[in-house]
Amino acid sequence: MNNPDGDIFELLKSNVDKGFRIVVERYSSKLYWHIRRIVILHEDADDALQNTFINAWRNIDNFRNESSIYTWLYAIATNESLAIINKRKKNAAVPIDDLGSYFANSQEGSTWFDGDEAQIKLQNAILRLPEKQRIVFNLKYFNDMTYEEMSKILDTSVGALKASYHYAVKKIENIISNG
Amino acid sequence: MMMKQIIEISDKNPFKVPENYFEEVNRKIISSTSGYRSEKKNIGLYRKLRPYLAIAASVAILAVLSYMAIHNFSSRDDKPVLPEITLNEFSDHYLNDIDNLTLEENTGTVAPVFAHSDLNSSEIIDYLVFENIDINEIYERL
Repeated sequence: MNNPDGDIFELLKSNVDKGFRIVVERYSSKLYWHIRRIVILHEDADDALQNTFINAWRNIDNFRNESSIYTWLYAIATNESLAIINKRKKNAAVPIDDLGSYFANSQEGSTWFDGDEAQIKLQNAILRLPEKQRIVFNLKYFNDMTYEEMSKILDTSVGALKASYHYAVKKIENIISNG
Repeated sequence: MMMKQIIEISDKNPFKVPENYFEEVNRKIISSTSGYRSEKKNIGLYRKLRPYLAIAASVAILAVLSYMAIHNFSSRDDKPVLPEITLNEFSDHYLNDIDNLTLEENTGTVAPVFAHSDLNSSEIIDYLVFENIDINEIYERL
């Protein structure tokens, strides 16, 4: 199986600073959007993205070329996103399970959300999924990731992921159709 | 189909980022991680040596404590403990008492009647002391 990050892995061994710079430039945007769809708010996504790369840097010596850097980074990013959500649940006065209400009531200075009513409706439907199911849906639908790659990121079997995605789609359709 | 509707809605990304956000965040990440690595190397060396330094410190402390204990408990000088007395008490008690050695040193003045005897002065003095003759009186008569 071809490792798309084979060149980076070799560079990380010979020149870790240069190799890591390429990792950041190659994956920061993809990771950001993956995180953003989980945490919704730009400020939280910014924090999680930086934490992701700092964690990756600290553990770069432990990284073995058993999985790709891509899936390794996504696993770290997912954990950072979930950590932020859990922290927010404890601290936030207004929960983010309804974007419209949240943006209306939130004290956040900038939401960086520019969607119309239909998009708010879709995002709300996705937000109503359980966290892990939401992540599965996002990775499959928005990132077009294979179930095998998702299995490595989420440490879940391919079969369970397929079932999870199937039910996620059904739920979203149901929510949207029922208004 | 509902999924088609979802696809149409999701074609547009409603989430926005500040202008030049990715250039800025990349630069921030690279600058923060490059400095951390040299600190981690230094700390790593210290962390590797820390257990050995702890052992060395423990051994050193034990050695010092052992030396102090041995020094304090075994270096008792066997010096005789002299009673504390005043100078007058000393002169009254000791200087007026003539000891045997002083007598022996002065038996050169003993009467010549003993000069040719087989007894030496030590034996003569011992005899006199045994006969309860005061030792000071013996000395005065010498």
